[in-house]
Amino acid sequence: MAESEVRCFKKFCLEYYNYNRCSNKKDCQYRHRPQHEIEAVGFVKGEDFILGQLIEMKNQKPCYFFQLGKCKYQDKCRFLHDNDNDNNHLNLSVREMGLRTTENNPSTSSRRETDHFKDVPNSDSDNASTNIMQNDIYSMQNCVEAACSLSCLTDEKLDDNGENSKINKNTVLYDDCEEGACASPPLVIVNNRNWADAPEFIPRFKPKSYAEVLNPDNIMDRKADRKLCPYASREGICLSLSTCNNLHGELCDMCERFVLHPYNEVERKRHRQECLKAHEKNMELSFAIQRSKDKTCGVCFEVIMEKTNNEQRFGILPNCNHCFCLCCIRKWRQARQFENKIIRACPECRVTSDFVCPSMYWVDTKEEKEKLINDYKKALANKACKYFKKGLGKCPFGNKCFYMHADSEGRSVDVGPPPRQRRHRYGDAEMDVLQVLLWDFLDDRDFPWQSMADDLEDLVSFFTESDESDWSDYDIFFD
Amino acid sequence: MANIAAQRIKREFKEVIRSEEVAKCAIKVELVDNNYTELKGEIAGPPDTPYEGGNFVLEIKVPETYPFNPPKVRFITKIWHPNISSVTGAICLDILKDQWAAAMTLRTVLLSLQALLAAAEPDDPQDAVVARQYKENLEMFKLTARHWTNAYAGGPSVNPECDDKIKRLVDMGIEEHQARVALSSYNWDLERATEQLFS
Repeated sequence: MAESEVRCFKKFCLEYYNYNRCSNKKDCQYRHRPQHEIEAVGFVKGEDFILGQLIEMKNQKPCYFFQLGKCKYQDKCRFLHDNDNDNNHLNLSVREMGLRTTENNPSTSSRRETDHFKDVPNSDSDNASTNIMQNDIYSMQNCVEAACSLSCLTDEKLDDNGENSKINKNTVLYDDCEEGACASPPLVIVNNRNWADAPEFIPRFKPKSYAEVLNPDNIMDRKADRKLCPYASREGICLSLSTCNNLHGELCDMCERFVLHPYNEVERKRHRQECLKAHEKNMELSFAIQRSKDKTCGVCFEVIMEKTNNEQRFGILPNCNHCFCLCCIRKWRQARQFENKIIRACPECRVTSDFVCPSMYWVDTKEEKEKLINDYKKALANKACKYFKKGLGKCPFGNKCFYMHADSEGRSVDVGPPPRQRRHRYGDAEMDVLQVLLWDFLDDRDFPWQSMADDLEDLVSFFTESDESDWSDYDIFFD
Repeated sequence: MANIAAQRIKREFKEVIRSEEVAKCAIKVELVDNNYTELKGEIAGPPDTPYEGGNFVLEIKVPETYPFNPPKVRFITKIWHPNISSVTGAICLDILKDQWAAAMTLRTVLLSLQALLAAAEPDDPQDAVVARQYKENLEMFKLTARHWTNAYAGGPSVNPECDDKIKRLVDMGIEEHQARVALSSYNWDLERATEQLFS
């Protein structure tokens, strides 16, 4: 039994998989297969594999082309490459059948079908090296059809030996089979119950369109433009692969979905790149979670990732590498009972930082931190400054403000440097500045204007921290 | 009590218990009440200081706003130190006041106090009498501090002369602690101390 490497997604019963029994027994909607036959896939971040979504290591359907002696997918074929003697005579019969079909219906066989057979040597050697054949979903479909009829055939042979004659009356035979069937048992393709699947109703090969007949060379170009089967792209696999007229993608080994366009190289590349990007993003995220998950806040001493949902954020100080949760470091920086020098300093190392950058994850390296802070500033720069008020108000931070200063028509305005701050200890001299600012903010009752900041940077940090409602909903994710 | 303060004290409590200073019997924290607002701290007098061998008990009150505000700490054990009031036990230490940082813990506070015992800061005194003695007569200060450590903190006895002087004052009907304060303040000059006590 050659085990096919190619995977096929099926829904398996997880309970049966784990315990070799299932409490639902026959009512279970998932398939019961022993564990060694299936392999679990699809790890969702943090969770175990998706319930019931497992991989079947081997597909039960034999490969049509392998039975003809040659399959260009070799080990990678999605169908069973079976060397068992049981099937040998069937292989032969199918081979003959196939050949005969090709001979008798040259007009209906597609061009590619002919190509396929051209590459097949007349010997039965299974190991014959294959030339690269072009992908063709139609040949895949034929493969499936052949496999269907084969299984049908086997059933009949095994179960209904005595009734063969009776059934034969109802069976549909290939016209030529009876004449050339000396080496093979009669080819019977039977399905009493599902007459709609009778071979008469299923075209052996997809009928060619008018354009295809007119200009067969152009088919490839046209195929490249065709869209993939919407069911396959939505569900991951098309359940009616044999009858579906849509184009079906090939398996992408990164996302493990059948989404690679078989003809369109640009599309394939695009998908690969998307997959790589998504993969990188996932890796980055998992690294970020990995390095963040044990970090404790230096103020509340709790593991930040284990805090309640809205407190699960890091407050990154630009000038040192101490770790705090956003709420704690903000609260510390708002502690007005201390001097600004104290609260603007890191509670651990007392290195002064001008602002706190919120982040979902901890940043280790300098580059990551720079990126985070730049992203943060960029995000703030897209929000209108609530003190500038589109030119109506006056922002105490001048052009050092992190927020957007744009007038009502959206043009950015340079308001110049912020007014120079003077210190308390100069006595009366600072009063004029204080008054100017107080007049501007007197109506801002929510503004906790208890003490004048020492210099501009104080104001910046004060500012960024005081209007929490404005931007705290903004978080920096990896993108 | 604010949840964050209680939560943090609980965590710190474990941290102190686990810390190596506890193993060396240098610091200790005990709960006084069950809601973590009041604790009892203990520090050992640092070696090579007049406080060596003594065990100093501290009262620690945790404010609701902890750790954004410092805990209120004072010495319960009487101690002769320029930065600690010999009367009330109040401590003059910047980190317990305006230099507090939210990342500081009970452990760091106790270690800082231990360091304060080893390195007094007479220019920023809490107790002016002690600070003056420290600056004017360091030997006398050391003697007094050692005596106080012996009397209140269970330190070793070193100078029987001091004990004699106190005994004489006690015999005169003076309360022992009062006698010790008077003698300490006057550099163990019995006459001046007596004069001050009876004036």
